[in-house]
Amino acid sequence: MAEPDHPPVNPDPIELAICKSSFHAIAEEMGAVLRRTAFSPNIKERCDYSSAVFDTQGRVIAMGDHMPVHLGSMPRSVEAALAKLSFSPGDIAILNDPFAGGTHLPDITLVMPVFVSGAAHAAFYVANRAHHADVGGMYPGSMGLCREIWQEGLRIPPVKLVSGGVLNEPLLALLLNNVRTPNEREGDLTAQIGSCRVGAERLLEMVSRYGMPRIEQNIVALLDHSERLMRALLHSLPEGEFPAEDYLDNDGITTEPVKICVAVRTDPAHESLQVDFTGSASQVSGSLNAVAAITWSAVFYVLRCLLPEEAAPTAGLMRPVTLVIPEGTVVNARPPAAVAAGNVETSQRIVDVLLRAFAEILPARIPAASAGTMTNLTIGGIDPRTGEAYAYYETIAGGSGARPEGNGISGVHTHMTNSLNTPVEALEYAYPFRVRRYAYRAGSGGLGRYRGGDGLIREIELLGPAQVTLLADRRAFAPYGLAGGGKGAKGSAMLLANDECTALAGKCSFEAPAGAVLRIETPGGGGWGI
Amino acid sequence: MRIAIDTGGTFTDCVYLENGRLQILKVRSTPDDPAAAVLAAVTRIARGEPVEVRHGTTVGTNALLERTGARVAFVTTAGFEDTLAIGRQARSRLYDLFFPKDEPLASADMRFGVGERTASDGSILHRVCADQLSELREAIRSAAPESIAVSLLFAFANPANEQAVAAALEEIGVPLSLSHEILPEFREYERASTVTINAYLAPKMQTYLMRLDAGLAARESRLDVMQSSGGIIPAATAAREPVRTILSGPAGGVVGAMAVAKRAGFTNLLTFDMGGTSTDVAFVASQRGLSITTESQIAGMPVAVPMLDIHTVGAGGGSLASFDRGGALRVGPESAGADPGPACYGLGQRPTVTDANLALGWLDADYFLGGEMKLDEERARESLDRSRGALPAAHIFADGIVRLAEAHMAQALRKISVEQGRDPRDCVLVSFGGAGPLHACALANILRIPRVLVPVFPGALSAYGILVSDAVRDHSRTVMLRPDDPRLAEHFQTLEQDSADVVIRTLDMRYVGQGYELNLPWSGDFVAAFHALHAERYGYSDPRRHVEVVNVRVRMVSMTDELIVEPAEVQEGDGMQAVRKEKRMYCQGEWQSGKIYDRALLRAGDVFTGPAVIAEYSATTFLPPEARLRVDQWLNLIIHP
Repeated sequence: MAEPDHPPVNPDPIELAICKSSFHAIAEEMGAVLRRTAFSPNIKERCDYSSAVFDTQGRVIAMGDHMPVHLGSMPRSVEAALAKLSFSPGDIAILNDPFAGGTHLPDITLVMPVFVSGAAHAAFYVANRAHHADVGGMYPGSMGLCREIWQEGLRIPPVKLVSGGVLNEPLLALLLNNVRTPNEREGDLTAQIGSCRVGAERLLEMVSRYGMPRIEQNIVALLDHSERLMRALLHSLPEGEFPAEDYLDNDGITTEPVKICVAVRTDPAHESLQVDFTGSASQVSGSLNAVAAITWSAVFYVLRCLLPEEAAPTAGLMRPVTLVIPEGTVVNARPPAAVAAGNVETSQRIVDVLLRAFAEILPARIPAASAGTMTNLTIGGIDPRTGEAYAYYETIAGGSGARPEGNGISGVHTHMTNSLNTPVEALEYAYPFRVRRYAYRAGSGGLGRYRGGDGLIREIELLGPAQVTLLADRRAFAPYGLAGGGKGAKGSAMLLANDECTALAGKCSFEAPAGAVLRIETPGGGGWGI
Repeated sequence: MRIAIDTGGTFTDCVYLENGRLQILKVRSTPDDPAAAVLAAVTRIARGEPVEVRHGTTVGTNALLERTGARVAFVTTAGFEDTLAIGRQARSRLYDLFFPKDEPLASADMRFGVGERTASDGSILHRVCADQLSELREAIRSAAPESIAVSLLFAFANPANEQAVAAALEEIGVPLSLSHEILPEFREYERASTVTINAYLAPKMQTYLMRLDAGLAARESRLDVMQSSGGIIPAATAAREPVRTILSGPAGGVVGAMAVAKRAGFTNLLTFDMGGTSTDVAFVASQRGLSITTESQIAGMPVAVPMLDIHTVGAGGGSLASFDRGGALRVGPESAGADPGPACYGLGQRPTVTDANLALGWLDADYFLGGEMKLDEERARESLDRSRGALPAAHIFADGIVRLAEAHMAQALRKISVEQGRDPRDCVLVSFGGAGPLHACALANILRIPRVLVPVFPGALSAYGILVSDAVRDHSRTVMLRPDDPRLAEHFQTLEQDSADVVIRTLDMRYVGQGYELNLPWSGDFVAAFHALHAERYGYSDPRRHVEVVNVRVRMVSMTDELIVEPAEVQEGDGMQAVRKEKRMYCQGEWQSGKIYDRALLRAGDVFTGPAVIAEYSATTFLPPEARLRVDQWLNLIIHP
């Protein structure tokens, strides 16, 4: 068994439990504040945000139950902010650069140090991340088919948005000048700042109640607690090397399939695990590139699903796990790769590949492939009712994979996302759209002893001309079944305009005339068993 | 004579006023036929006199939780039949590859679409046609529903199509629940869910209330039912709109807490109602009235009619304690429930919060439920000893269980106070339910709440609240207007059709572009009031931004005659007349000697300090060392924790 990085402590199981639940409550409250005060439907209605608490060394000690793809990658943001900036009380850093702590440009992260009065170093850090509906670039919504990161929008390295409690107005003005919906962005950023401050306030209340020494001791115990649970899981796995692979259809620029492969190496004797992505495709011309933080998130997500519920998602969890992610591949892209879809599409495929490997290791605990695409739809233009610009973003759920003991679930977000839909009635008030249909896509789940869940059908009529961008996958490679179960149906999309029906590629961007109807069908989940 | 009767899982509580004094009667509930206990209680109390019965019922809640409601047909705009099933397309558990999902209350073959469409501005884009309606009627008829829910897109903006559908379905002869009547507000899933729940409960509630009404009619009595929003409605209305009564018991608790706190001179309160399996908490600023939410979830389904803003956590006296696989203590979410119950009740094996309380000396084993039930201290200690892991002693384990349970409860109270910008230091903590007063002082200390109030009959406060509730009708409509739009006033007028003593007009407002609304009174400069409220709740406001009125609401209140309760004469005393015995109690890390008081023998003006236990029929109060208790003129226990 590997040596821990500190002398063993004998944790008090009562203090540990109270501490664990207090930190978690703070992260949850930060998320609640952000959701309540944000402006864009993307954050409020869809819940596309996350928040987390870190210790003095930047190790994550609590995360809210929010977006899985954010959570595993948030620690990189704090790491990057700490590497670039020296913090004083009242500072708040902002960043979105995927190559310096971010994931893709629309996800803007704020990091705030928390100082106990008189201390020279921050005792904690709090951070939150929200998906902003537009951060500039070539396409409304900033999720289009770009070839390099500069086309995707404004790239923000770790910089101070707030210094000593004072908002950096020139910086904010610069940011807002470069996005399509500045009012909404300002409202959302204000909400993110408020959320950080609430987190900081709660941590300081905790310090005044328990004192720093007691809290520090409990943080050590908490990180060890997560590690112990992970080691217990790794100890229970059969020893071996378990390879798996799957493909993304293409990068939206060329028609080449994009391979992702993994070898999962278990070592129960040492209670450790190696996840090796060697052999995955080189980074691509389109925006499907994932930065390492996303790959890390996907591994974190899969392992967390296999752990008991009480395993707190802290830095301790991943101590016995090593990742091999070769640089310059689609799972560890280097600048100036475009990365918008790495976060939303590639992350799902990485999970599919990991689960396929784990299906060999723990066959009774792994479902067949789920939809495997977030089906990102962005629509932007001028609202004919008001003459104002708008940018709308949504993701459309699909079927979940069948399970070893039951059918998959229809029309639900799986794995790396859990964003809500925007109510049809809210949508039609806010945007020049009319929704024509929103229904299960019958028969799209894979066959088998247990059926995969069905995908969804969504039809949107555009009441004014608009720029439409679709970013979806599973058009060429269907969601796999397991134990002999059938594949889920592939996704598809079409445009009905001027009495003509055109099939749309999975990844495309185009101008649609007023009156056009978009019809999107999302993939079903794979089946399980015969 | 007015009687409030609140049906609970074990007991049916009755509270009434007799000669200026509050009386309580507890009878065993009769879960197979809840009306039996209610009618029996009325017979005992009324002695043949006509009575006004006000009822808090769990018939709706239980039907929903146990899924024993009606076979419902759900009708909506064609193309949106699955709205009810898709919900918000999110899963209930993030890190669970086998996350569960309940079937909606109307399964796929019970969901029907009708070709029609209304736009957000109320214009009809597609009128329903007669041929389609007769087809729809026959399809539904052959599916043999017991109840029908109709919720068409934007029917609240113009109900014409929905009314046409309703007219066509009437002849099927089952109850119809219509979205423009039950909940004329936007967000189609939440509305459909609410209307479908109403349809699901309607037949059962109708049968139940008719049986009760028939039993009472014999004595020329009237029957009202408590709503989740904290006011009563006539039984006939409740039978039509049962979705409004799902949480009638907990609502009674909050109304009761507000009434006792107000009488005792407090304005802001946090309520803390801890029972065996769950705990309800709520915030009330009495000068602003009851705080209402339209974002409740029951059994995983949204219920968007107004309900008191009550936050429930699944932890109570029966929550089980254990260690997780990583070695941390854990209390709940598993519960010993009523069966087997805590170890000290004689059947359970695993330790619960109640067992921990007993082992710490905070409960009087001989006087639980007034002595009707003897608690087994030995069994409690044994169960703690068996499960305590590496901890050195049972009482250390018990102390940890209580502290962790209190940490969970404190978080629930934080959610409804600090998280909403409300300061607990301005509040009194009103504690009730069987276990609330045991933990109230500890919670007050964690949250820096300066006072704790334990009312008379803490185990029957819900019934008391129902007794003092006003008659209330809530109406609302989504309007989506700028605040200076003259049509606002018209909308209010159309909603105010009933007669009432008091009409409360409120608005749900937001900044244009926001996805959530704040509710505030329709008063002079309500726009300025909105900015101020936004700043109070969320920490900032922006007067430059446009605001919009999303919904208008009216609350029509017919006041209930005030209960005249005579204050007791206050005489300084030390409460010694009520001391039953001395006992050791574990508090603040050591065993100390404390007194056990019999609450029934305490007198107004008695003052004493902890450690002490105040035992009574329906609850137990624990007074930690240094906490100071005073009995006020209303016989409330007022504690400086």
